[in-house]
Amino acid sequence: MDFKKMIRVMLVCLFAVCLFASAVQAATERGFDDKEIRIAAWGPQTGPAAPWGAVARGSKLMFDIVNEEGGINGRKIKFFVRDDQYNPSQTVAGVKELVERYGIFAFVGGVGTACCQSVYKMLLENKIIWISPCSGARSFWDPHNPYLWNIWVSYEDDASILAKFAVEKKKYKKIAMLYNNDDFGLDALDAVKYRLSKYKLEPVAALPVEPTERDLSSQVAKLKASGAEAVISFCAPTQAAIALRTSVSQGFRPQWFHSYNLSDYPLMNKITDGLWTKEGVITSSFFIPPFADQPLINKYRAAQKRLAPTERWGIFYQAGIVVAEPLVAAMKKAGKNLSTEAVKKELDSLKNFQGVGPKITWTAKNHKAPKSVQIWQSGPKGEIVLQDWTENEISRH
Amino acid sequence: MDMKRAYYEDIELFKSGTILFWTIVLMVALFTLPLISTNYYLYLFNLIMVHAILAVGLNILVGSTGQISLGHAGFFAIGAYATVLLMTRLGVPFFPAIIIAAFIAAFFGFILGLPALRLEGPYLTIATLAFGLAMMHIIGHTEIFGGRSGLRAPALNIGIPQLGWNLTLTTDLSKYYLVLCFTIFMVWGAINILKTKVGRAFVAIRDSDIAAEVIGINLTIYKTLSFAVSAFYAGIAGGLFAFVLGFFDPITFNMFLSIYFLVMIVVGGLGSIMGSITGAAFITYLMYALFKNVKDVPYVGDFLIAISQRWLSITGMDNLSAIALGLVMIGIMIFEPMGIFGVWIRVKKYWKTWPF
Repeated sequence: MDFKKMIRVMLVCLFAVCLFASAVQAATERGFDDKEIRIAAWGPQTGPAAPWGAVARGSKLMFDIVNEEGGINGRKIKFFVRDDQYNPSQTVAGVKELVERYGIFAFVGGVGTACCQSVYKMLLENKIIWISPCSGARSFWDPHNPYLWNIWVSYEDDASILAKFAVEKKKYKKIAMLYNNDDFGLDALDAVKYRLSKYKLEPVAALPVEPTERDLSSQVAKLKASGAEAVISFCAPTQAAIALRTSVSQGFRPQWFHSYNLSDYPLMNKITDGLWTKEGVITSSFFIPPFADQPLINKYRAAQKRLAPTERWGIFYQAGIVVAEPLVAAMKKAGKNLSTEAVKKELDSLKNFQGVGPKITWTAKNHKAPKSVQIWQSGPKGEIVLQDWTENEISRH
Repeated sequence: MDMKRAYYEDIELFKSGTILFWTIVLMVALFTLPLISTNYYLYLFNLIMVHAILAVGLNILVGSTGQISLGHAGFFAIGAYATVLLMTRLGVPFFPAIIIAAFIAAFFGFILGLPALRLEGPYLTIATLAFGLAMMHIIGHTEIFGGRSGLRAPALNIGIPQLGWNLTLTTDLSKYYLVLCFTIFMVWGAINILKTKVGRAFVAIRDSDIAAEVIGINLTIYKTLSFAVSAFYAGIAGGLFAFVLGFFDPITFNMFLSIYFLVMIVVGGLGSIMGSITGAAFITYLMYALFKNVKDVPYVGDFLIAISQRWLSITGMDNLSAIALGLVMIGIMIFEPMGIFGVWIRVKKYWKTWPF
């Protein structure tokens, strides 16, 4: 047999094995049995959005810890992660397969608003518990979905609290806005305008950024011309980094405020060559600071060093834990007689629950995310908490 | 073995009783398949068929006319957005909507065909690539298209709501039959196009456009027509894709999708309709299903996970599927440049003369 033929035979064999593997079919179950509870997440593990895949792996750490401690009322957690490459059609394929083949009790997290939207209906129809898409988009809580619980603070509340802090604590009068030209940015712009109107102020400039734009010099020049003392910015990490570099090179050094999406300071410092800390950028955040000396944080960080030593401890990884914590708590409370309705009841009565994320309170009619954030500033030794949990008292939802 | 004695023999839809027989067997199999299949596989089949429609159209352009396009995700997006917007904004029923959407895509195909008259090879590739990218950004920039937040497809009502005839398809099963009917119709259309005057003109242009012009083929008409037909197919595929997926945003139609479409027809076999379909099925399977359950692969599953964890990634899960996809593509190009269709031709030849 010559080499080419051998390769061909091997390829065919490999393909047959894979076909066989995907044809193995298990009956659809309700997501758990006496030995295990099946929980899943999706997230980009490969492709350009891969850094956000850390969220799903953070959840894995949480469930590994639970299993190490003996599981939940005698049942171990089996955790599945599907790589959807940030592509909604892949998310649908992965989630459908997981739900049908294994029967999934609950989903945690979910990166990418479009990916989450594409499976929203399917999860609701199958009455599968889903704890928080990693998005503050309005469509996840309006209308109310009885099987979806939100943790991600809405962009509106986030922007409003930042603006309040800038005016009341920092005494800025001339505030400008730089925003992504999509729901994320537009919701924030609206909230900032509303907040400033309470002080009889308005933004001295409001400039849109396209999510794919790479040259922000004209926006920065306009911000500079407006004489802004502070800029509230709601854009993606790349644009935030470009805006900061450009403004420094143009000699324009306002106080920058960013959304909680940009509170991964080590990452932001890396892509701005340290300017993030040098300029003392302020962001909001609804997490317990990742490097704080706090019992839960210490516990998770120790577990990460032991169970997943190759991972980088940071905000995205912590986010995976934040979405898994309330589920674990509710399942433990639900007791030996596990069922979707029992866990739903526990989640619906969760009051002031706090892990390493925000304080969560849900009711049967209200699955909205908390409305409080902290204000952090990037400092040489990590984040400095400038203001403790503050609620958006003029929230319009 | 494929001796033709008359022109009409050449344009027959079924060249022999054997082909007719197997076609019927295939049809019966396709129509009864859902009886034994779960929703997940139906969704996968729906995706495969949508990709097959697009691949057949793309192959008319690339394989038969010898032009190239890296912008088909753009036409695909036009089909999806136009169908959904016609239905939600203007209340057009589904069938007219998807056909109008496909004609809109075809119009854009015609426009893109104009530079193709002067551009060739890498230059044409860049022009089409730019079209695909521009489409993604124009859609993302425009409020009426749902901007970057995306668009949710309405309920798939294939009746005419204005007359009170409602037939809403909600399950993957019902969508499967709809997509299947479209696929059969579009493939039948493609076979006919390629067998008649137009198809022959396309092939003549592919083989040598100067020679084609000399024998009286109007290059302007046929080159742009090829783009338009190809875009029409992509438009239909896009319209169906919108409902198979249910939700989409501009990023769904990114450049990689265009590349995957091209990969489908190259792996399947350029210039062949069956090749496009097998290529679409094969690549879709690789993308969506292969190695997604590495743990379940008998005997070697745990071993593969261990390899992945040790050397390939920190996640140790799914990058195997991306690597396998790449390896298979490289393997096919090295060992079977004519694609899967080439394998089929050789197998056929071998058995025709068997056992000698």
